[in-house]
Amino acid sequence: MILLWAGLAIGAVYALVAVGCNIVFIASGVFNFAQAYVLMIGSFTALISGAQLGLPLWAAIIFCAVVGALVGAVEEVVAIRRLSGKGADNELVTTLGFSVILSGIAFVIWGPNPLSVSYFAGQTAFDFLGGRIEFSDVLLILVSILVAGATGLFARKSIIGLAGLATAEDRAAAMLRGVNVKALSLGAFALGGALVAAGAPLVASKTLASYSLGDSIAVKVFVVLAIGGIGSQRGALVGGFAVGLVEVFSARYLGGDWAGISVFILLVIVLLVRPSGLFGQIKKRVV
Amino acid sequence: MKISQRALVTRPFWLIPLAVGLMVLVLPFLGIGAGILQVVISVALLALLVLGLNMTFGYGGELALGQSAIYGVGAYFAGYLATQKFDLSIGLLAAILAAAVIGLITAIPGIRLGAWSLAMVTLFLVLLFPNFVTLLPEFTGGQAGLSGIPLPVLFGVKLSATGFYVLVIGVTVLTFALFRNFVASRHGVALKVMRESPVLARSLGISVPRLKLTAYVLSALPAGVAGALFASQQGYLSHGSFGFQALIPIIAASVIGGSASIYGALIGAAIMVIGPLSTVGLQEYSLIFFGGLLLIAGLFFTGGLTSVANKFILAKFVDHRALAPDVEEVLRNPSALEHIDGKDMIASAITMDFGGNRALDGVNLETKPGQITVLIGPNGSGKTTLLNVISGFYRPTSGVVSIEGDAMEGKSAHRLAMAGVSRTFQTPVVPREMTAVDVVASARFSRSRTSIVATMLRMPSARRGQVNDRAEALRLLSLLGIAELADRPASDLPLGTRRLLEVARALAGDPAVVLLDEPASGLDENEVEALGDLIRALRDAGANIVIVEHNFEMIMGIADQVNVLHLGKIIASGPPSVVRDDPAVIESYLGKAARDLMTAGKEGAAS
Repeated sequence: MILLWAGLAIGAVYALVAVGCNIVFIASGVFNFAQAYVLMIGSFTALISGAQLGLPLWAAIIFCAVVGALVGAVEEVVAIRRLSGKGADNELVTTLGFSVILSGIAFVIWGPNPLSVSYFAGQTAFDFLGGRIEFSDVLLILVSILVAGATGLFARKSIIGLAGLATAEDRAAAMLRGVNVKALSLGAFALGGALVAAGAPLVASKTLASYSLGDSIAVKVFVVLAIGGIGSQRGALVGGFAVGLVEVFSARYLGGDWAGISVFILLVIVLLVRPSGLFGQIKKRVV
Repeated sequence: MKISQRALVTRPFWLIPLAVGLMVLVLPFLGIGAGILQVVISVALLALLVLGLNMTFGYGGELALGQSAIYGVGAYFAGYLATQKFDLSIGLLAAILAAAVIGLITAIPGIRLGAWSLAMVTLFLVLLFPNFVTLLPEFTGGQAGLSGIPLPVLFGVKLSATGFYVLVIGVTVLTFALFRNFVASRHGVALKVMRESPVLARSLGISVPRLKLTAYVLSALPAGVAGALFASQQGYLSHGSFGFQALIPIIAASVIGGSASIYGALIGAAIMVIGPLSTVGLQEYSLIFFGGLLLIAGLFFTGGLTSVANKFILAKFVDHRALAPDVEEVLRNPSALEHIDGKDMIASAITMDFGGNRALDGVNLETKPGQITVLIGPNGSGKTTLLNVISGFYRPTSGVVSIEGDAMEGKSAHRLAMAGVSRTFQTPVVPREMTAVDVVASARFSRSRTSIVATMLRMPSARRGQVNDRAEALRLLSLLGIAELADRPASDLPLGTRRLLEVARALAGDPAVVLLDEPASGLDENEVEALGDLIRALRDAGANIVIVEHNFEMIMGIADQVNVLHLGKIIASGPPSVVRDDPAVIESYLGKAARDLMTAGKEGAAS
């Protein structure tokens, strides 16, 4: 049971980042590799808020969200805007490049060693459904479910969400219908960045703040999206928990080195058996 | 003195890199210090890794990031075998085989799915490399690393430091020569075509999965070799040398040197190893620098230093108006139209559904050699859909296409292309960075196969193939009156010329059926007239021509048989004069009122 809770908690981290990725994807059709690196920057922001500024939790969350939104917006301007309409898969290269830059900046400022974040330190753990779980983990799981649900609803029901879906489907047509494609894309990157970074005080208390945090999360988030189907918030949640559980259970029963390998095997199976993911749709390619 | 563009290819300029390679090879005999030789070895190993990346990423447009993992697999295989007292030749062979296997495995997601999946699966593999190493301690030494790799023994001879140096450089020069031959051949052209447009590649009879597979496996081999050599050089292996941290310099070197080039790999590697980044003080900032490089590469598609050098050479030494001798020859004696061996094409009862939308509804179409068949109809009537079914891009819901009686059921586009179905596109698809003559010759990829080994070694069969490709392409360009443009970059040509180029390409593969998708759109009056004459001439030479066209005047001038599509059905067919007056046709084009008006007018005139 402990394992189950631990798996869900780590899965919630993946789900949260995947939700951010989906927001960007829904609005602009771009797979944002750098989403996990925004979380990494957020974790250092949480570190500063706690250790240097002494902000209370609620203020730290807001501060992190603002920083995350900024990073997201900068990324859109620097790495995405000039590409739009060019087609090709260049955003893979540019978002990867942006990610490496973020890692590099964190490395220069905070050095190579992981640092612990003060929020939720010395917290109380309690017994729940036969497993011991820390308060922050419960919060993490709840937050991921809440965020995925809310943003999923927003994408499908609100006019902005629909405009985003339309843009991802056909950029030119959306522009002709009066959708401000540029603002939408910028907004999505900012929103995705803000949401993910806002979770950082919570996440970083678990993962610590490290310049390489993004590396380990980014690829697993891709697995999450592959399982859930890119663009589906429900899928992000299910996929996130699935990856978290596979990781924790294989690490426990097969050995630590198997955690990543099991997830990789899961990815290959999903790609081969159900390339569109659980809740995704395959687009029919046309000549 | 300036030379023609063609001379850049025909003259033996490849001697220059070869000479440089040989000079580097003899460095130890010139009294160069061991420290410098170590650096040269590092450059050579990195260059081999970058070479593989350039093959898939630069030429094929596929971001396969597994290089550093493959490097590691090669190193551990060779290292382990060396500790078991095996000869380095065995180690090298094992490393190459292991690399090929990894290349094959990573090919699966790349072939079945898109670019993202390939990039992520290969990246994941790289991140997992340390885990695999620690899981197999009896072979890899686990966390502690694999130590005690003896000095290399090749074919029973213990290699001295100099001997090992010569081996590394020799292998590198050889590998670069082989890969250079590969990309300069029609296989390289096919890779470029696939990068620019997989659809075009399929329409030319190139099997995209097979080509990708070839590219992935080939690109893995130099990394395996480099790994084996690295193991011998170091004598000790730890997984830290091969993970994510090792990958980024490979990508950076590729970008600096120019991804779509062979020698760019060497230049990039040399800069990465010797350049300012290797100094200790800057290493802290290296991630930022690498990231910036990737960003710039992705944004501006720059061709790296090789492209700068190329532009310089083109501007300084190449006269664009100078024509190659064979082009001048074909201009003096324009080629005559030879017989074209067209074949019967029958599409019977073709129905095509997209979801609930029936785009074609039981269409029958029969076309013959020596005949021009035209498909007309309003937008959305299913003309292009029908072309796509005939050329295999769509698999019809029901119905069969057959060529000369052979049913093509279930065959994919490249199979149909090989069976002789060739086509042009509504918007001409002309890849960048290719000359006009290469564009035309690219259609001959599937006609006369040359093996990869033959092209890499430049065996006589491969050379002959290349000579024939060029001669045939020149003949066709001359036929269309654009031979003087043969060695010009094709994508820079004006629209009308690009359309002609597409027609030439469609003819290059001895087509059984030629499908032209709106060939006259965007052309001016004179060009349309010339195109009409050309199409008639092709028909008279025996081609089976099918045209989708809106230009009514042109159609009436050249068509032997007109078929009118409306909402997925053929509502009229026959000679142009008959179809023009068909009431159903008039209604579908101009509406019911027009039909009533015209039939009323006719009756009035008759009475």
